[in-house]
Amino acid sequence: MAEITPFTYRPGSSGLHLLDTRLKFFITCLVGMSMLPAEGIACCFYFLMLHFFLKKTGLHFFPILNHMKLFLILLFFIFLTKALTTQGNLLFSAYSLTVTGQGVTEGAMTAFKFFLLMLTGLIFSATTRPSSVKAAVQWFLKPIPLVPEKRVAVMISLALCFLPVILKQAKEVSDAQKARCAHLQKNPVKKTMGLALPLLKKTFLSADHLVLAMESRCYCDDRTDPEFTPSGKEKAFLLGSIAVCACLLLFR
Amino acid sequence: MPKTIIDIKDLSFVFDDGYIGLNHISLSIEQGEFIILAGKNGSGKTTFLRHLNGLLMPTSGMIRINGQDISKHLTQTRKTVGMVFQDPDTQMVGDTVFDEVAFGPENLKQPRALITEKVTRILETLDLFHLKDRNPSTLSGGEKRKTTIAGILAMDPEVIVFDEPFSNLDYPGMLQVLAVIMDLHHAGQTLMIATHDIEPVIFEATRMIIMGNGSIMEDGSPLALVRCLESHGVREPCFSKFGLKPQSWQR
Repeated sequence: MAEITPFTYRPGSSGLHLLDTRLKFFITCLVGMSMLPAEGIACCFYFLMLHFFLKKTGLHFFPILNHMKLFLILLFFIFLTKALTTQGNLLFSAYSLTVTGQGVTEGAMTAFKFFLLMLTGLIFSATTRPSSVKAAVQWFLKPIPLVPEKRVAVMISLALCFLPVILKQAKEVSDAQKARCAHLQKNPVKKTMGLALPLLKKTFLSADHLVLAMESRCYCDDRTDPEFTPSGKEKAFLLGSIAVCACLLLFR
Repeated sequence: MPKTIIDIKDLSFVFDDGYIGLNHISLSIEQGEFIILAGKNGSGKTTFLRHLNGLLMPTSGMIRINGQDISKHLTQTRKTVGMVFQDPDTQMVGDTVFDEVAFGPENLKQPRALITEKVTRILETLDLFHLKDRNPSTLSGGEKRKTTIAGILAMDPEVIVFDEPFSNLDYPGMLQVLAVIMDLHHAGQTLMIATHDIEPVIFEATRMIIMGNGSIMEDGSPLALVRCLESHGVREPCFSKFGLKPQSWQR
């Protein structure tokens, strides 16, 4: 069975689950952009709000942190880069590296904002059926000329459903190699080739099978359009999100 | 008299590298038949099934489905003959069980309300409704196979062909899939199952075709042909080996 990550859709009936995906998409983008110029207090307020929605969605904060170890390391590097490269009042220096007060503050703020953006995306993906994301993308792309929106939507859907299959195959190939003492191979190029070549072969074969399976079920671009079912709370959510954006922009 | 759904005349297929996949096959399939297509690996079972669904076109010969040449009515062919592939992981395109089952009717541009009604009914019939929001990759082997069958049923096919439906399944998974196949058979659905393990289905099947080297080696009643299975590279069922009476695998 494929692994469930915090980003995996969790079925539910909360307000966020039932909200029209197009509006959810719009709100996520709007809040994300409003967060760019936001400062400390507003970000803390937004964090508390996200924490509330996380609970509503059935996600727990600390297990999420555990899942995002690599992302947190990336945030630490962002913080470090800012702290070491921003001009300002010197806090301390060693080995020709200088850390400034402004650098630490800006670094912490940037890392925190990235973290909030990630949590926003996580709530979006955990409360939205992947097919609804695909449908919303198709709806947003429809007015753009020369863009085959239905094909793009199917490609998104295939990417979403094929990712766990590829990860599973990568694990199988890796385990099969380990079983034959591949860990003794120290050359990283040979090691990578040993994993990549069978995986690529498997992936292309799977893609071939998928094409046949889609063809056998009459796949074509001219398909039934997706349907959106508004929950009736769209107006309230839109007004609420505008208020949040205003807070993010005003309370610095 | 039962209606002939598939009529095949002198069908041959040669791969690009010159390998003969199918060699002068002629047969007809009637409504309500439950056919086992047996044969060892490389005997041409999958190549044959892919011709029935229009995924491969004959090098020579003709396939008619409900009297129509399949090369001229490809969409109708694929709607009439649904194919369940061997590996469900590479067959499923939807990101939830519901979407996976709805994929076929959406391709046929059926109205949304009809798709929702049909998918709900099929999921309930196959006892999959409680899994409708699950990602298909997180299902068990038997559930995945049932989901792929549901995806085919949603297209209202007249014939369903299965390519090795019991491969890679544990015993409970196998029983789950077998139960679905038997229900379809009892409902009058025309079925063809390509397999090299005929034991689970031989009791209920109405006809068995044994293939070898791309040709039909035997065609007749399943129980009459069990004795000659091993000469064609297919394991003889235990009941026949030990001189027992054949029994249904269904509990």
